[in-house]
Amino acid sequence: MAQSGKGKLNYRCPSCFMRDLDIDMFYDKEKKEYHCIRCQYVGTEEDVLEKNELVRFRYKDAMKRFTKFDFD
Amino acid sequence: MENKFIVNIIHRPEMVPEYAEKVTGHGKEEDIGRKALLTESLDIFKTQQEIAHKNGLKTTIQMTYASLFNDEAVELAKADHEKYGDEIALSLLGLPCEEFRAKYKTKDFCIWMFSMEDKKAIVDDVFGKFYDRFGFYPESTGSYYMDAELINYIKEKYPMVKCAVATCWEEGPKAYHTCNNSWYTFMDGGPWAPWIPSKQNVHAPAANEAEDSGIVAIPHLSRDLLACYDGNGSNFGTHPQNVLRSMSYDSKTWEYPYLYNLIDQYRDLAKYNNGYAYNMMFVGPGWMNKMGRWEAPYELLLKSYEDGMAYYGQLKKEGKLDDMTMAEFADYYRQKKTLTEPECALWRDILYGSDKQLFWYCDPFMRVCANMDQGGAIVDLRPYAAKLEWPVGIGTKHVTDASYPFLIQEKYRAGYFTHYAGEGTVRSAKLTYKGEEVDLCLCRTKAHFSQEGNTRILTLDPVDIEFYDLTVKLQTKMYFEEGSSNIKIERTILEMSDPTAEVEINEYMVACYGTTEYSEDMSNITLTCTDGTNSKEIKYAYKCREEQMEGATEVISVIPEIETRVSLSCEKKDAVGYIKEGYAFSPMFTLGYTTKLKDKEVFATWLNLAKAN
Repeated sequence: MAQSGKGKLNYRCPSCFMRDLDIDMFYDKEKKEYHCIRCQYVGTEEDVLEKNELVRFRYKDAMKRFTKFDFD
Repeated sequence: MENKFIVNIIHRPEMVPEYAEKVTGHGKEEDIGRKALLTESLDIFKTQQEIAHKNGLKTTIQMTYASLFNDEAVELAKADHEKYGDEIALSLLGLPCEEFRAKYKTKDFCIWMFSMEDKKAIVDDVFGKFYDRFGFYPESTGSYYMDAELINYIKEKYPMVKCAVATCWEEGPKAYHTCNNSWYTFMDGGPWAPWIPSKQNVHAPAANEAEDSGIVAIPHLSRDLLACYDGNGSNFGTHPQNVLRSMSYDSKTWEYPYLYNLIDQYRDLAKYNNGYAYNMMFVGPGWMNKMGRWEAPYELLLKSYEDGMAYYGQLKKEGKLDDMTMAEFADYYRQKKTLTEPECALWRDILYGSDKQLFWYCDPFMRVCANMDQGGAIVDLRPYAAKLEWPVGIGTKHVTDASYPFLIQEKYRAGYFTHYAGEGTVRSAKLTYKGEEVDLCLCRTKAHFSQEGNTRILTLDPVDIEFYDLTVKLQTKMYFEEGSSNIKIERTILEMSDPTAEVEINEYMVACYGTTEYSEDMSNITLTCTDGTNSKEIKYAYKCREEQMEGATEVISVIPEIETRVSLSCEKKDAVGYIKEGYAFSPMFTLGYTTKLKDKEVFATWLNLAKAN
């Protein structure tokens, strides 16, 4: 098995991102999957992108435009 | 009064961007002289400059050491200075290059981490090289952090320097953890908005002319005062690619209203600061790398920068923004602010949908955060009154830890306590009635800001405290009197369901000291209750002891390691002051007062900070 390298983009581990850790993943071209060096996450690009949507659950107001910043 | 919103746009031609070589150059041997890397870096700088100018914005060009060896970078800076009025300044970021490595034989790149001897040598080298290339010395400089000794040296040797980027707000253990414990920028506990640093400690603003370092400091980016306090500082600031890093954008439409909300909330802070508000945007070239950055392709990196600049440009066209160079801003700030004038920010959540609200206050004596989601409890407290001399860099006790120590920090030391054993740091109050106890930390509310003379007042919406057979309506007001080095906290019983009832109130502060999550040695701390004549004292030995005194005028803790004296005081004669030592599993101390309150009664206490001699 050859060494892993970077994929076309530096995808971070979605599982580690959920705990505020930015860990670049490495790509295994034989298995066509990304893997995290720190935790046990393994997934295809499709799975990474899907999980990246999930991690956005915390940003309930990310798409809202605010015009008022106090509660007066 | 017409509000003024000022932005500093800063670009640096960093020939070897911090991220570009290691992160995107994976799989290649390190070569910081790679032609492709140098060319790309300069191209990014050119792109950033073009985008700013296209939107009618002037910039401050912070030349890096490496760029001073590059004729094209020097000529670009001169040309843009001539054409657009951009300031040519000098950054102490961007030191790495072949010339630097050959001369200093190190891969260190953060100026504050060098030995003082090396700091002086590098400053003289870089300033000298700048003079050789431009024929004058810069008026502005900066780094992610600038320690007091470094600034004092620069100001002594190069007195024309008037402005410096001097800290990244709340970039400390959180940033370290986010980078898998590899990013050593420990600089928590500083101001979030421009300030005049003291000569003793850059984070602590100067209280008088004798303490004035002679420069105006600006933060590296304008950061979200709620999101960055809990999360990674490099995710939530006026740095479009930081917003991408947080993934708080729509991955399909590439929209990021959060960035504009952040800018607008900063604009809104003018109403708490005598009509003045500030923003800083400073994107290093590594963030606009052609190979993309994390999940974001180059096209999105570029779009986000263009959109951010376009928004500032639009605000300028609408007369809502003044773009200034750093040196221009320093002159404006010196004319606008007095040394003791505080910086205030009543900040709301604009990202998570919680409606949480924090109040941040910063003056030469303290930095404070009160959390309205916890009844106005103080959840972060930095005793600037101590003006703690805290040298950093190789050869000091704090090689990398440049944070200003806290007395209270709810994220690192628990805050309102929810676990099995121990306590957390917080300044709050508890009400008890017939064996039931309610902490105000559990009373979610909102606050309103006002100013009377030199006192900033935070008035919280009343909260209802429900006991089994009694409901108490209580209101909290906090008073920050300019120059007083104290906070007055007033609790008023507005209403009781049984007007004849009497409740006990316990005003308390659980505290410790430190700069990280891990506890420090508490053995040198002394706790005292006094009524001015008699005193009771506990020398900290982790023995879980308590003392109290009726009629105590002050309950005090002296913490020699951070040269801080912190106390609570009150004027109510029958109140009981108390001190509590902690124990090994709970290395904290508690200062407090208890008293009885009836309907319509008011109880005031003061939190006082001073330098311990």
